[in-house]
Amino acid sequence: MLWLKNVHLVDPGQGISDKASLLIKDGKVAKVCRGEKQLTEEEVLATLGVSELKEVSQVDGEGKFLFPGLVDVHVHFREPGQEDKEDINSGSRAAVRGGFTSVLAMANTQPVIDTRALVEFVRLQGERAGLARVYPVGAVTKGFQGRELTEMVDLQKGGAVAFSDDGLGIQSAETMRLALEYAKLTGCPLISHCEDNSLAGQGVMRKGEASARLGLKGIPASAESVMVARDALLAGETGGKVHIAHVSTKESVWIIRTAKKLGINISAEVNPHHLLLTDEDVQLTDTSYKVNPPLPNREDQEALLEGLLDGTLDMLATDHAPHTWEEKMRPFAEAPFGINGLEAALAALWQELVLKGKMKPEKLIELWSLNPAKRFALQGGSLKAGSPADMVLFDPKWREKITAESLESKAQNTPFLEKELQGFPIMVWVEGKLVMENRKIVGKK
Amino acid sequence: MTKRIPKHKIMDADGIRRAINRISHEIVEKNKGTENLVLIGIRTRGVPLAERIQARILDFENVKLPLGLLDITLYRDDLSMIDVQPVIHETKVPFSIEGKTVILVDDVLYTGRTVRAALDALIDLGRPQKIQLAVLIDRGHRELPIRADYVGKNIPTSSREIISVCLSEIDNSEEVLLLE
Amino acid sequence: MRWRHKDLLDLDNLSAQEIELVLQSALSMKEVLFRPIKKLPTLRGKSIALMFYENSTRTRTSFETAAKILGADVTNFSVAQSSVNKGESLLDTAKTLQAMNIDLVIIRHACSGASEFLAKQLKAGVINGGDGQHAHPTQALLDFFTMKERWGEFKGKKVLIVGDILHSRVAHSNALGLKKLGAEVVLIGPPTLLPPEMSYLGVKTSYDLDSELPGADAVMALRLQLERQQSGLFPSLREYNRLYGLTREKIAKTGKDTIILHPGPLNRGVEISSDLADSVQSVIEEQVTNGVAVRMALIYLLIGGTSNVMA
Repeated sequence: MLWLKNVHLVDPGQGISDKASLLIKDGKVAKVCRGEKQLTEEEVLATLGVSELKEVSQVDGEGKFLFPGLVDVHVHFREPGQEDKEDINSGSRAAVRGGFTSVLAMANTQPVIDTRALVEFVRLQGERAGLARVYPVGAVTKGFQGRELTEMVDLQKGGAVAFSDDGLGIQSAETMRLALEYAKLTGCPLISHCEDNSLAGQGVMRKGEASARLGLKGIPASAESVMVARDALLAGETGGKVHIAHVSTKESVWIIRTAKKLGINISAEVNPHHLLLTDEDVQLTDTSYKVNPPLPNREDQEALLEGLLDGTLDMLATDHAPHTWEEKMRPFAEAPFGINGLEAALAALWQELVLKGKMKPEKLIELWSLNPAKRFALQGGSLKAGSPADMVLFDPKWREKITAESLESKAQNTPFLEKELQGFPIMVWVEGKLVMENRKIVGKK
Repeated sequence: MTKRIPKHKIMDADGIRRAINRISHEIVEKNKGTENLVLIGIRTRGVPLAERIQARILDFENVKLPLGLLDITLYRDDLSMIDVQPVIHETKVPFSIEGKTVILVDDVLYTGRTVRAALDALIDLGRPQKIQLAVLIDRGHRELPIRADYVGKNIPTSSREIISVCLSEIDNSEEVLLLE
Repeated sequence: MRWRHKDLLDLDNLSAQEIELVLQSALSMKEVLFRPIKKLPTLRGKSIALMFYENSTRTRTSFETAAKILGADVTNFSVAQSSVNKGESLLDTAKTLQAMNIDLVIIRHACSGASEFLAKQLKAGVINGGDGQHAHPTQALLDFFTMKERWGEFKGKKVLIVGDILHSRVAHSNALGLKKLGAEVVLIGPPTLLPPEMSYLGVKTSYDLDSELPGADAVMALRLQLERQQSGLFPSLREYNRLYGLTREKIAKTGKDTIILHPGPLNRGVEISSDLADSVQSVIEEQVTNGVAVRMALIYLLIGGTSNVMA
C-alpha cells in the first residue's frame, strides 16, 4: 500500500496536469486526489482499509512529476538467439530504468517469433524478469520470408499483441495486403517496417549532402515513403489496421496525414533519435549514429515534430536496438544498424523538447503512454482509479551522464554515451510494485 | 625561442669580401687551375657563398665554374630527434660530378655533421674524383673526423655561443656575428 | 610552414599552404627519381605497412617505391594471405600493427572512413590510399603537382572532371583541393552519376561536356566502372562514350593547350580515346611519375621527423 503525496500528476487520460496525491492498493490506483487539497489521515486509512498509517509506505513527490508508466511499442530484446546483444531480463531492466513499464518486443530474433511456442517463451521470459510488462510481437510471415503468413490467431492466443516483420520491410505488396486482411481476425495492428529494398540498396545513411561528403552510400527518403504510401492504400482498401514504425521522412508524414483524413485505420510512431539528430551529425567513425531508418535531414525533423504535435503521428517509440561493442567497432558500412534507446530516450526528449518549450509534458505523456496503450489495447496509459499502478516518478532536475557502466542494457550503442542529460525517472512501479528506485533496479539481478 | 644577444661582430662586409677573395684564389692555386672543378653550395647560406666564389674565379681566371645546390635534409642523422621538421628544398646539380673535383661550400663548420650528410648526398649523385671543403667560418667542436680545405676565418667559440652569418642575398645585412 | 598532422586521411583538414608544402617537398623528391642511385638514407629503420583491402597494383606499387627510395622498410600486409580472410576485424588488425611498432600504415579499403578508423586506433601515422567513395588524397595531390608543374599556379585555371562523380573518391578529393588552391572546377557527368547532393563540394556541376569545354585548362577523365551499366546507372558504353568520352575532336574545342589527366587504369575507347591518351596533351604518364614523388613527400612529412610511435 502506497501513499504518493505532493506530486505533479501528468495524466492526459484523465485530463489532469496538476498537483495530486494518489493511493495505491493491490497493484491498482485506489484514489486520485487532485489539487492542493491534502488527503487526511482518516481518508487514507479508510480508502486503503487499514487501521494504522505505519502499514502504508509514503512517498513525498514534492517537485517531481508522476506519469503513467511509459509504453514503448518498439524494442528489440534479441532473445532468443542473440543474447550477447541483449536478453529479455537485461532489456527489462533497461526499460524500467528508462521509465517504461510496458514494451512490445519485436519478432526479429533467432529464430523469429513465428509460432505460439516462441510467443509464449518471450512472454514467460518477461514474466520471469518480473520488471516491465513484456508483450510479444508475432511475425507476419513465417521465418520473415515475406511469403506465407504465420498462425496469427494462435500467436495472439499465446500473447502476441501485434504482428510485424520489423527489421525487414515486406517487399511483396500482395503479401502485405493479405496480411492486413487476415490480421482482422485478431483485431491487432500490423506494424509495418516501411523500407523498399530496391531503393535502400546498400545504403547506410540518408542520401543527401552529408552522405556525399562522407562518401557513404545513401538511402533515399523514398525508400521509406513509397512503402508508407503503399501500406496506407492497402490498409484503406482492406480495412485492416496498420501501424507505421519509425516514421522518418516528411513525405511519410504528409501521406499519413492524408490517410487519416480519408479515414484509413493507420497509426504511426516516431523514434526520439529522429527528432534529435540529423544526417549532419553522422560521423564516419561513430557507428552509434548508424540506424535504420537513417537519421533524417532538418526538414524531415521539423515535419516529424509538427506531425506529433498535430496528431498526425500518434506516439513515440525508442526502436531500442542493442548491438555489441565489437559489432559496432567497425568501419561505418560494416557495422549493424541500430541505436540503444531505452535508458536515454526520455531524458533526451525532456531536455531537448520539453525544456526548450517545443513540447509540453502533457503531450509527451500522451504520446508515450496513453496513445500507445490505446492503440495496442494494453493495460496502463492512465492512472484512473481502478487502473494498474504502472507509474513513473520523474525528477525534472536530475542530471546524469550516460555511461557504459551505468547502463542496464548489455549494449552501449547510443549517440548519447558520455553526454549529460537532464530529467530522469527516479522511481518506477509496475502494478504497484516498486521496480526502480534512485536510478537502481530493485531486487535480483 | 629565446632571443640571442649579439656579443660582437666577427666580420663585416669587407672582411667577408676579403675572405671570399682569398678562398677563391686558394682554390685555383691548390688545384693548379680550374680544370675539372665544380662548385656545390650547401643550402641555405652555402649557396650565395658558392655563387660569390664562382664570380670571383670568373673575374680573375675568366672561367665560369659549374655551380650546384645541395639540400642535405634527407641525409641528416638527427631527423628522428629534432622537434621541428625541416622543410626540404630542391637539390639542383644540373651536371655530372663523375670524376670531377667538387668544391663543397658552406658558411660555418661546426660539428661536421652537415658536411657528413653533404658527402653522402654527393656520393649518391655520382663518383667525384675529389671533394674539397670551403667554409667562411670554422668554429671548432668537431664531432666527426672532418676538416676544411679552405677557411675564411677560424673562431674559437664555446658551445653555448652561436655564430650567425648574414649574407645580403638572404638576410638584411652583410656580417658575421657571435651571439650568446 | 610546418606539417602538423599525424595522418593524411583527406584534404578537408589541409590548408592551401599545407597543400603547397606537400607540392614543394614533392618537387625536391622528384629530383631524386632521376638520379642514377635512387636511394636515400632518410627513413632508415622506419617501418611502413601497406594494407590494401582493395586490389590496386599501381597505387600500392607507387607507395612501395616511394617508401623504399626513402630507405624505409616496407611490409606488404597482403590481405589475401593474412588473417583478414579468416574474419579478423580491422580493429584487431590495427592492434597487431600497433604491437609491431609500425611507424606508418598505408591503407586502401572499400569502406569509407576505414583509414580514419585506423588512425584513431593507432599511434602510428596513417595515409589513406583510398577509402570507399570518400577520399583519395594522394591521387589528388599528385594531380595538383602535375598541374602546378605545367601552370605554376592555380588561380584562374579551369579544370573539368568528367565521369562517374558519384562513386569517385578521386573526383571528391580533387574538387575539394582545387577549390582551396583557387582553381575553377566543373564536375561533369550524367545525372545518375552526378546526383544533386554533390552540391556539397561547392563547385559547378553540369551534364553537358561540350558546353563546358571552351576555356578548360585541364580535363580529367574518371575511370568508368563497367559494372555500373548492369546497375542501370547508364544505358550503354556507346551512349556514355558519345556524351562523356574524351576525344581529340572534343578537346580541340577548349581553344587552349589543355592537359588531359586520368587516374588510371584506362578504359581506352570508353572514357578516353586511345589517340588522346597517347597524345602530347596527355600527362597521364607524368601523373604516375609524380605519384611516386608526391608519396615520398607525404611519407617524409608524416614520419621524417620525430617518431609517433616513440612519442
